[in-house]
Amino acid sequence: MKISIRQTTRFLAHVLVLGLVAVMLLPVAYMLLMSFRNGQEVVNAPLALPEHWRFENYANAYEKMSYLRSILNSLGITIAVTIAVSFTGALAAYPLSRSKSRSTQIMISLLSLCLATPSFVTITPIYETFARIGLLDSYLGIILAFTALNLPLAVFFYTSFIRAIPKELEEAAELDGCSQFQIFWHVIRPLLGPATATLSLFVMLMVWNDFIYPLLLLTDDKKFTVMMSVYHFVGNHSLNPEELFPAAVLGSLPLLVLFIVFQRRIVNGITAGAVK
Amino acid sequence: MSRQFQKALFLAPAVLMLTVFFVFPILEALRLSFTNSSGLGDYDYVGFENYVRVFTRSRYFDSFRVTLEFVAIVVVVQTTLGLAFATVLNAMPRIRNLCRAALFMPAMMSFIIVGYVWSFILSPFSGGLNAFLDLMGLSAFKHEWLGDPVTALVLVAIAHVWMFTGYTCAIFLAGYANIPADLEEAARLDGANGWQRFWRIQLPLLAPSFTVNIMLSTIGTMKAFELPFVMTKGGPDGATQTVGLQIIQTLFQEYRFGLASALSIVLLVVVLLVAFVQNRVLRLREDLL
Repeated sequence: MKISIRQTTRFLAHVLVLGLVAVMLLPVAYMLLMSFRNGQEVVNAPLALPEHWRFENYANAYEKMSYLRSILNSLGITIAVTIAVSFTGALAAYPLSRSKSRSTQIMISLLSLCLATPSFVTITPIYETFARIGLLDSYLGIILAFTALNLPLAVFFYTSFIRAIPKELEEAAELDGCSQFQIFWHVIRPLLGPATATLSLFVMLMVWNDFIYPLLLLTDDKKFTVMMSVYHFVGNHSLNPEELFPAAVLGSLPLLVLFIVFQRRIVNGITAGAVK
Repeated sequence: MSRQFQKALFLAPAVLMLTVFFVFPILEALRLSFTNSSGLGDYDYVGFENYVRVFTRSRYFDSFRVTLEFVAIVVVVQTTLGLAFATVLNAMPRIRNLCRAALFMPAMMSFIIVGYVWSFILSPFSGGLNAFLDLMGLSAFKHEWLGDPVTALVLVAIAHVWMFTGYTCAIFLAGYANIPADLEEAARLDGANGWQRFWRIQLPLLAPSFTVNIMLSTIGTMKAFELPFVMTKGGPDGATQTVGLQIIQTLFQEYRFGLASALSIVLLVVVLLVAFVQNRVLRLREDLL
């Protein structure tokens, strides 16, 4: 009898916690449900469930946001940035992970400084430089800027990953007469796959969601990333639910799906990075 | 090739990128902060004029006060809530992973979208919160949430907390996972109850997670401008005008690049100082516990 009371309490505690977590997700549910209603329905009954599922809200947002195009832009930029940042990042991380010299310390301080720098400190000079050399409103410009923005994190990420690789492998290669670069390319690089996979998820998160860099560096709406399209479509003045919510759902959906699929990898990657 | 030279080659691309996109822009911002540049055309060096303005005009001074209040609310609420969720979930292995993922989900959304959704929830007429209060018979508590200086700042902070509580919770859960099980077991055998185990064993051993969480949320919120940008545009009456937002507006509405640069440099120094002091204090605390 006593055990069953304890089990019941335990069960109720679980239900309570699940309920609290569900409350935290209410804004997401709200966003989803509202996206199928029109403005008049929301005014008449702000919390009602959709009576008619108005998929035309989505058709409208999809079209006016040039959704497909902006998805492809975000995706293309993500891929290019991932390649660039994983190469530069891993290259720099290799010597940093194998030495504790003074130059290593300086480099790590520099990286920490960059990581703490708010983006609006650097954004105007970057804007002016880009304007001068014609990189404004170009894919190359935004790719370079995002690569730099992700670089400090990438270097820290690879450094801690490479530190865990046993040195014996490299020593053997060195005895065989390999140069440092050959060791990096043939011994270290092939082992970095899992780290790069996790890193690409971070890059995607940033490219997808960052707002200030594309806002400043891109003006041609054909080159807009997803978040720029959302902002452009919804605007900053009137909040019309039948435009706002479908745009919000379309803007978040790809990452939410990605998260549901790679949930463990993303959460573990972020917490491991933070705890080290 | 010497080892040193090879090392330099490995670092060269990264150093080049960091120089172009961080070191040079920071130095350039420092230089511009002593000018009256408006972005285009000629400008003059004006000495410390911009800095004097930053420290004497209440408008700029207030934006630092708002930012600190914002940081304080976010850090306290988010750390407490994240720790509470982590503590109960740690004791519930069956639903731990599910809940950790569910709580983490908002961190995948962008500030812009979170700002839009919360603006609508809090809007006075057809917004979800007021409608909910009506439904519960609590119409007396209905409020123009983002139109009142006090509730506006608190609710923008709440939207931020909502986004990142899962993040904080995940880091605390990782901290819990690092606590040796036999320690817990020993305390249990010694007759410590759940409350005592939490205060005497778990909390002190979570010190590194506290350090990480507090530092991440502090630095993250000090730079914040997106949520107030979308939700309140800094209003009402400057109540949510964070330094970040002030800089953006000084740049793109007033075109006062020199002044905006001075604000940026002051903010950068404050961020670095806070990060440095927090790191020292929190690490010291870790050692003492």
